[in-house]
Amino acid sequence: MQIDHRELNEVRSAQGKEKVQAPGLSIGVRQLIKRFGERQVLHGLDLDIAAGEFIAIVGRSGCGKSTLLRLLAGLDTASSGGILLDGQPAEVLKDDVRMMFQDARLLPWRTVIQNIAIGLDGSQREIRERALEVLGQVGLADRADEWPSRLSGGQRQRVALARALIHRPRLLLLDEPLGALDALTRIEMQRLIESIWKQHRFTALLVTHDVSEAVALGDRIVLVEDGRITLDEAVALARPREHGEALFAQRESRVLKRLMTVEAINNRNQIRGRISEIVVDSVLSEVRILTASGLVTSTVLTRSLSEQPLEIGAEVLATFKSNEVVLAT
Amino acid sequence: MSQKSTLLNRLRGALIPWLLPVAILAAWEIAARVGWLSSRILPEPFAVLKAGVALAATGELWQHVKVSSLRALTGFAIGGGLGLLLGLLTGSFRKVEIALDTTLQMIRNIPPLALIPLVILWFGIDEMAKLFLISLGVFFSVYINTFHGIRSVDPALIEMGRSYGLTGWSLYREVILPGALASILVGVRYALGFMWVILIVAETISAQAGIGYMTMNAREFLQTDVVLLGILLYAVLGKLADVAARLLERHWLKWNNSYSAA
Ligand SMILES: Nc1ncnc2c1ncn2[C@@H]1O[C@H](COP(=O)(O)OP(=O)(O)OP(=O)(O)O)[C@@H](O)[C@H]1O
Ligand SMILES: [Mg+2]
Repeated sequence: MQIDHRELNEVRSAQGKEKVQAPGLSIGVRQLIKRFGERQVLHGLDLDIAAGEFIAIVGRSGCGKSTLLRLLAGLDTASSGGILLDGQPAEVLKDDVRMMFQDARLLPWRTVIQNIAIGLDGSQREIRERALEVLGQVGLADRADEWPSRLSGGQRQRVALARALIHRPRLLLLDEPLGALDALTRIEMQRLIESIWKQHRFTALLVTHDVSEAVALGDRIVLVEDGRITLDEAVALARPREHGEALFAQRESRVLKRLMTVEAINNRNQIRGRISEIVVDSVLSEVRILTASGLVTSTVLTRSLSEQPLEIGAEVLATFKSNEVVLAT
Repeated sequence: MSQKSTLLNRLRGALIPWLLPVAILAAWEIAARVGWLSSRILPEPFAVLKAGVALAATGELWQHVKVSSLRALTGFAIGGGLGLLLGLLTGSFRKVEIALDTTLQMIRNIPPLALIPLVILWFGIDEMAKLFLISLGVFFSVYINTFHGIRSVDPALIEMGRSYGLTGWSLYREVILPGALASILVGVRYALGFMWVILIVAETISAQAGIGYMTMNAREFLQTDVVLLGILLYAVLGKLADVAARLLERHWLKWNNSYSAA
């Protein structure tokens, strides 16, 4: 018994040391290009991430989010451009990167604990000890010896999270890991991921289709469009962020609006010009823009005008949408 | 009260499937005793039982069963083993597939039993011929199912394994083989069924020992009871092989909901 305890303490202190040595990885992505045959998916993507940052990535389906993550994880190679992790080529630190997929990808023929132990070396006992510890962190210690097929979707994702955590990753890539979960389980998982991230201080990249999830977790929200980053917005809200709070809701709707605005900007439906006149009214205001092809009038909410003031003479981009026109300075 | 009735229900449920076979056996026995059925055509069940007991007592029966089983299993081991090996190779390595698969697919179209004349020409009518036929018959179902099993392993799981540092043999052992196992076992079960069919045909053509020899010998002397006994033995052995395959599936695929005992 005595020996057991001492060994356990040694393991613990070793882990403690590792934690100090191994905070998050910093990431530098430069002019990243990825082609699949004829189709180019990433068009010279640039992205810098500080060690320990939590980045939420959003963007339309097919814009290249998973491709970016797979390149970061070393599961695929870039056509050109480079990825630096802590200033070194990505291959060097490949073992410090772990990925969590949308589907849990547990081996059905291995029990929960065997799944977590995958790719680990060491004595059976030590591995089991560590696996039980991470299982405890995700709240599933009592399910260690069950088959994955007996778990619910959310529990499977928690096992997948534990499997990633046991490797003490310095960069954790999360590719829509919560997409298939119901709203309540998802919020619960978000809190879990956040608390584990706070504890371990790894760098995290989370791909999500849920803006509120991005606002809840991200230090920054990055929008990927057509293989480029078109928006990079810091979220300066204190953690933990409560979904019901006014500040949170305000932030969420602002980000959503920005996303929609930026998404609307493409060459087909925009026109450059200069503001010539602003007519302010109680609810709706009108902004007149002088463009090369004449005067354009845009109706905007007076409230958004006060939030994002415009000046006469400013260069703007008028964007046409089927149901509304928005302005971007 | 209710417990008692469920127990009774269970008992009834277990008995009902056996009613018809027992009734048929009884009718058959009676028909033979009364003289409606000539024992030259079909001996009564009791006579078959008696013949079995008599042959078992002299040890002759076990000798024949042993020879037949050994023959079947040896052929199965050779053909199944080769099928597994080649299936794993063609499934895992594109180059081997390109080199071998077309040839194997062409040979597959030849029914093994059609080869009998040629096989007799090559090996004569002794043991080699029978082993060759059984091996050939067993080979393809194991080969095809192993090949498909390996090919249909979920690529997402392989990618996951890779990203967790599994490569080469460890990836094979942890992900690919277990992923292919269900399909391989299906192949094994088919192969076992086929193994008995070919064994029976091969033994009926010629044999110096084995169940086939026993029945053919008995036919010469019009011992229909022994002939029937031989047929029953084949059936029992076939059933045993099937049960063994099922147990294997249950054990190896216990993680799979559809195989675990409910
Ligand atoms: N292995 C591949 N071969 C060919 N094309 C691919 C491959 N992987 C991805 N693509 C293409 O690259 C584009 C981006 O795919 P990616 O999976 O990165 O999108 P995504 O942003 O993750 O979308 P989603 O939100 O739907 O997951 C898609 O058009 C897809 O068809
Ligand atoms: Mg994706």
